[in-house]
Amino acid sequence: MTTKQTALDEFAPMIPRPVPHQQADSPQQAADANLRERLAEFRALLVILLLMTESVSEDQILELAASSAPGLGPARIEGYGFSDGQWRTAGPAASGVSISDITRQLAALGHSGGKVDLPGRRWAWAYPLRSVTGLLGHLVASSHLEPSAEQRFLIQVIAQQTGVAVSNARLHARERATAAELAATNAALAQTVASLQRSMDIHDRLTRVAVSGEGQPGIAKALHELTGMPVAIEDRYGNLAAWAGPGRPDPYPKESFAKREHLLRRLMRARKPIQDGERLVMLASPRPELLGILALIDPGRTADTADLVALEHGATVLSMELARLRGIADTELRLRRDLVHDLLAGTDDESALARAEALDYDLRRPHRVVIVEGKGRTRAHDALLSAVRRALRLARQDGLCETWSGNVAVVTAGQADWEQLRRAMASDLGGQCHIGVGGPSARPSELPRSLREAGLALRLQKTLLPGSSACEYPRLGIFRMLAAIPDLTDVDAFVREWLGSLLDYDARRKAELVHTLTQYLEHGGNYDATAAELSVHKSTLKYRLQRIRDLTGLELNDPDVHFNLQLATRAWGTLQALRDES
Amino acid sequence: MTGPVPSGIDEIGLQPGSHVCAFYRGDSDRDRLLTGYLGAGLAAGDKCICIVDSAGTAERLGTLPGARGEPGPFGGQLDIHLPESTYLAGGEFTTADMLTFWTESLVKAEIEGYSFCRLVGEMTWALRDAPGVEHLVGYESELNRVTASSPVVVLCLYDLDRFGGEVVVNVVKTHPQVLIQGILVENPYYLAPDEFLRSVLPDRPTR
Repeated sequence: MTTKQTALDEFAPMIPRPVPHQQADSPQQAADANLRERLAEFRALLVILLLMTESVSEDQILELAASSAPGLGPARIEGYGFSDGQWRTAGPAASGVSISDITRQLAALGHSGGKVDLPGRRWAWAYPLRSVTGLLGHLVASSHLEPSAEQRFLIQVIAQQTGVAVSNARLHARERATAAELAATNAALAQTVASLQRSMDIHDRLTRVAVSGEGQPGIAKALHELTGMPVAIEDRYGNLAAWAGPGRPDPYPKESFAKREHLLRRLMRARKPIQDGERLVMLASPRPELLGILALIDPGRTADTADLVALEHGATVLSMELARLRGIADTELRLRRDLVHDLLAGTDDESALARAEALDYDLRRPHRVVIVEGKGRTRAHDALLSAVRRALRLARQDGLCETWSGNVAVVTAGQADWEQLRRAMASDLGGQCHIGVGGPSARPSELPRSLREAGLALRLQKTLLPGSSACEYPRLGIFRMLAAIPDLTDVDAFVREWLGSLLDYDARRKAELVHTLTQYLEHGGNYDATAAELSVHKSTLKYRLQRIRDLTGLELNDPDVHFNLQLATRAWGTLQALRDES
Repeated sequence: MTGPVPSGIDEIGLQPGSHVCAFYRGDSDRDRLLTGYLGAGLAAGDKCICIVDSAGTAERLGTLPGARGEPGPFGGQLDIHLPESTYLAGGEFTTADMLTFWTESLVKAEIEGYSFCRLVGEMTWALRDAPGVEHLVGYESELNRVTASSPVVVLCLYDLDRFGGEVVVNVVKTHPQVLIQGILVENPYYLAPDEFLRSVLPDRPTR
């Protein structure tokens, strides 16, 4: 433990001690008492100066200086005139004192102090307020009595120390302002650095997702980790593609088509994140027809700037992912289409098998070609192709489908109920369709033959056979046998022998007597069924049959005639189909 | 007891009989001085008598270790008063009444068995517009008579944010020691009661 003391204490023994309870009777005692009083005032002044030195407030220093003066003698401090022309009154302003007059007198004094005139004051004096940087101004003191030399000295000391203390306070204020400015600059810099760091983290994390092939689940997971919010990725129809974070709705809600389209339009216009209920959503659209939505689930609306940056960057990565997926799909589709075309046109086994394997399709099984032809509105290629794919999927038949000469060709290893498949397609399309089925091919290089058979079956079915049932080439019987004859000259002669007059008549009159006869014979001579197939009235049918009898001179009910005519019509149909093919 | 006693403030020692004027800025600085000073006294077994200017401060001081207990040498060590029952008892301030209060408190402490007393007064009550407040500096001077020959130390607390320079000057003149900014400034030139009263109040008797 120590007793802290000041330097003045060293002189204490030299000073007369206080003499309590005694009157200063003798001149010596009076002089001692006076000296002690002056020294006590010095001691008090020392404390005042300590307080001034401690203070960092200019106002506080000036107030302390002004308020301490009355304790040190009869003088009071009127105020302070500063070098910039400002005047600050200390305490209540003295009556009759003009500030402009004081400042004018102070300006005339310059760097030195001196006497000033104040109305109603017997004594008034301006003391310079000096600092290391020069003159700050003046302290103006006044009194109704002439102060003693000791009292004037005390005021002068107060002025000197006030100048130093004010100078220090101003310097301190400037330093504080500079420090505050530096602190603010540092804080702003730190915030900028933190923001940049966060942006870099976001960029780094999402870029890693983009190159690592984590797909949409990876993007959702990364965004969830970066923002702390649940994340949803939806396709353009509102179907959930990926989710990360807690609270996944089950079942996932799906908004109406109109509402979804409205949201997509808003997103396309905004081209930035927008609030959609409790979600913050951003559009990912690498191509106009390719859309996805990235959503932050933010019911409290707490997302900050960094979260928005993460969402926008996430949408960019999602756009890249959508474009990549679409590119893969397009490539696979193109490869499949090219393979189907080559298989139908004819290609070597090795190449076909390798390309099928690349598409993860097993072409080593026996395959056949099926031709599907739509009628009327069902001829729209895309709709027909989609209907065929759906029907095959429902029938659990795998195969390669592609459009071919206005129809759809299917290369399949399946053994489906082709008629059931045809009815399913027709029902899906809401119209009619025909199917021709080729024979099986053990190797890919034989598929053009199966294609020809499927085409032949399709044409025969359309021209000769009743109804519109699926027509399988392996079950065509006599037609298949006729089609297999290399040289058709004799067949053609046989047809001319039995149907020549009718063919000429049809050609000349644009009639359908051969077709009418064909259907009549195929329906076993049944008038009603034949008329229905031909979509004509029964009397029209009877008229045509009579015409046929007249032109040929043949009796249709004769069994031998009947057989030869039926063979001739089937041969004619086969020839027609073969000629159409060529 | 003849040697210095620990003040409890910034390792400063005080001689018995010391009458110290302590300057501070703001409530937290005041509380630092009060708890240090009284805490050291309570730890040393001194009788501690304090006058504070608010019930809140009084309540906080009541929670100091050793502050509560039965009256006697080892209990009831800390007496806490408010200005209404001390400086301004009866509705006005008089030097005589206040000196009587301290004298009686010291006698009572001696009867209770305490050999040393530690007094402290928070002087902001003097800022109130109460009758007799103008005698404050004279009272401070007169208090030296009570403390000079007693086993006691006295701390008068002045808030520099609230008292002006004139009070500071006069208070320094009348205190043998001044505690400011952690420094105990000895004042061998302080004016004894008669000297001070003669210099500042030549025509006015003390009350």
